[in-house]
Amino acid sequence: MKNVVLLTVDTLRRDVLGGYGNKGGLTPFIDSLQNKCIRFTKAQSIGPYTQASFPGILTSSYYLEYGRGKKLSPKRTLVSEALKKSGIVTAAFHSNPYLSGYFGWNRGWDIFYDSMDADVSPEIPYIKGDGINSKVDECLFSYTREGKYKPFFLWVHYMDVHEPYVPERKYIDMVDSSISISQDEMFNLFKNVLLKRDVSDEETVGLLKKLYDAHIREIDDYVKEFFGILEKLNLLKNSVIIMTADHGDEFNEHGSLSHDGKMYSELIDIPLFVYGYDRVKAEVCNTLVSNIDIPPTINYLFGLEPAEDFEGHSLLPFEDYPKKGCFGEAIDKIGNKEEETDKPVYFYREDDLKIIYRESDDIWEMYNLKEDPKELNNIINASSLAENMKKKLKPRIRRWVKE
Amino acid sequence: MTEEVKKRCAELVEKSKGIVHKAFEKFKPLEMAITWTGGKDSTTNLWITRQVCLEDNIELPKVITIDEGDAFPEITDFLIRTSKKWNIDLRWLANFDVLKCCQSHLGNTVKVKDLNERNQAELKRIGFEEDSFTFEAESYAGNHLMKTVVLNQFIEKNNIKALFMALRRDEQAARKHDEYFTKKEGGYLMPEHTRISPILHFTERDIWNNIKLHNIPYCLLYEIGYRSLGARTNSNPMAVGVPAWEQNLEHTPERAGRRQDKEKTMDRLRKLGYM
Repeated sequence: MKNVVLLTVDTLRRDVLGGYGNKGGLTPFIDSLQNKCIRFTKAQSIGPYTQASFPGILTSSYYLEYGRGKKLSPKRTLVSEALKKSGIVTAAFHSNPYLSGYFGWNRGWDIFYDSMDADVSPEIPYIKGDGINSKVDECLFSYTREGKYKPFFLWVHYMDVHEPYVPERKYIDMVDSSISISQDEMFNLFKNVLLKRDVSDEETVGLLKKLYDAHIREIDDYVKEFFGILEKLNLLKNSVIIMTADHGDEFNEHGSLSHDGKMYSELIDIPLFVYGYDRVKAEVCNTLVSNIDIPPTINYLFGLEPAEDFEGHSLLPFEDYPKKGCFGEAIDKIGNKEEETDKPVYFYREDDLKIIYRESDDIWEMYNLKEDPKELNNIINASSLAENMKKKLKPRIRRWVKE
Repeated sequence: MTEEVKKRCAELVEKSKGIVHKAFEKFKPLEMAITWTGGKDSTTNLWITRQVCLEDNIELPKVITIDEGDAFPEITDFLIRTSKKWNIDLRWLANFDVLKCCQSHLGNTVKVKDLNERNQAELKRIGFEEDSFTFEAESYAGNHLMKTVVLNQFIEKNNIKALFMALRRDEQAARKHDEYFTKKEGGYLMPEHTRISPILHFTERDIWNNIKLHNIPYCLLYEIGYRSLGARTNSNPMAVGVPAWEQNLEHTPERAGRRQDKEKTMDRLRKLGYM
């Protein structure tokens, strides 16, 4: 039986990866993996920010399924809990406060490192990828030292692409060496532009995107280092690696910055691929899939049935994956603060159609992604398919309220 | 203690002394300072630096300690006793403006508008835009004003070019790649300086072996089970009644006794632009 590794990158847009068509050469190492990967071209996140998305990735359930509690509901089954019950060793390494022990994500892990005890600076408020990697290296080294070991599930999550976007000089140079900017100036952009969601100056938005891209280039180095660790410890050929993101990031595609409660492609489209050492060629799956399908896939790879309350389907073998629509939900907040009074927003996608409902203003939107990939032309009143799409989304709206 | 352990200690100390020598080649003692919290690491660091100064007849750089307003009386006592014993003119630094605004009382509310201009500017710099905060050592605003700002102001006022600090590589994952000399880029309200970490290569076990071998003084809290000392309200013994050096240092996390719940997590969220 192979080990399973889930490698997630916070805030990683799909369109920055060469494997998904980017020509900027930001991810040379990740791109080089593609000939040993199954690549899912239409993977969707169930939510546009960490708290709305990770319930899918690690518990195969939707964000609002168990109400609006900030802490992970004890009713959800973490994939780590399901695996541990079956004797799989589980370990997690990350630096995202929303996924910390404090919020209840430490259940079911034999080793859980959330880095919350480490000191961090305002400019880089998380443990960088190389720090996470050394922690992983240390742990895997001592775990496999004896030679014989039980199969493990390892989850590693990098934060480096997340704002405040203060990348190292060498990565800025790799993206655009003509950019001259100090650490202070970058941090000021974060405070005065990004936090205020100020998109009034096109050039500044462009600069922020370049700083973001510099972090993407940086992430590629950490992924490379991570694969190096697995290889060094003789684990690469014994492991299946699932790589994905929790959501993307916005650079004024729909009038804002960062990742708030919106359901457009720049936030919802995510990269997703499965690396296997023995694979001989790149494979592509064009079916609409969702990150809620990841936990059942992990169970499948360990030869286990999905946990009873998992709502997704195993992505493998992908020939057997049922054709279905993708659903997502979040709280419709603009800016970085979620208020009690903020209301939910939902989307449903089927083939190339996406419908969005915002409860706060009772607004419906629908887009044809094939004809209008940027989602700028709302066809809710023009399309004859709108009623049918509405009908499919409606049962999911406020479904937890007993009327 | 085995000969092997003694030999290792001697090698580690020699290496540290080499770093200190190198530091004195680059900077004048007057431009340098040694940070001392009263914990096991910074006491070891001070002991080594002081040894070099005594051996080579170099003036000991300024020794500073920062009072965050939430100190263990045992540590304060230890600092006073040890500085007397070692004949050190210890400088006690604090953000007195903040202490005044909260009447030096933990849990009291500090109104931002009551703070002096510099402190207000500092809060603005780190993106803190609320009208008030609770005075706690590990809160976002509190931590910055009580520790970082105090250190930066000291560096600025005394034209300090380099600081001896007591970081250890094995302390946390993020330190694994740390270097002995790290230059901190200057900027708005942030003076440029170099941080020197002579004991970077010590492990927690090495620290205790060396303390025992050379009878270096240590704070009594370690005897009753504390492994890592921070602010009083955030630190707890790891194993009550078991001295730190008798605990399972290699397989249990050193900082597990430090509180790392809500405040730490909220601080991170705020820094990431949430809340």
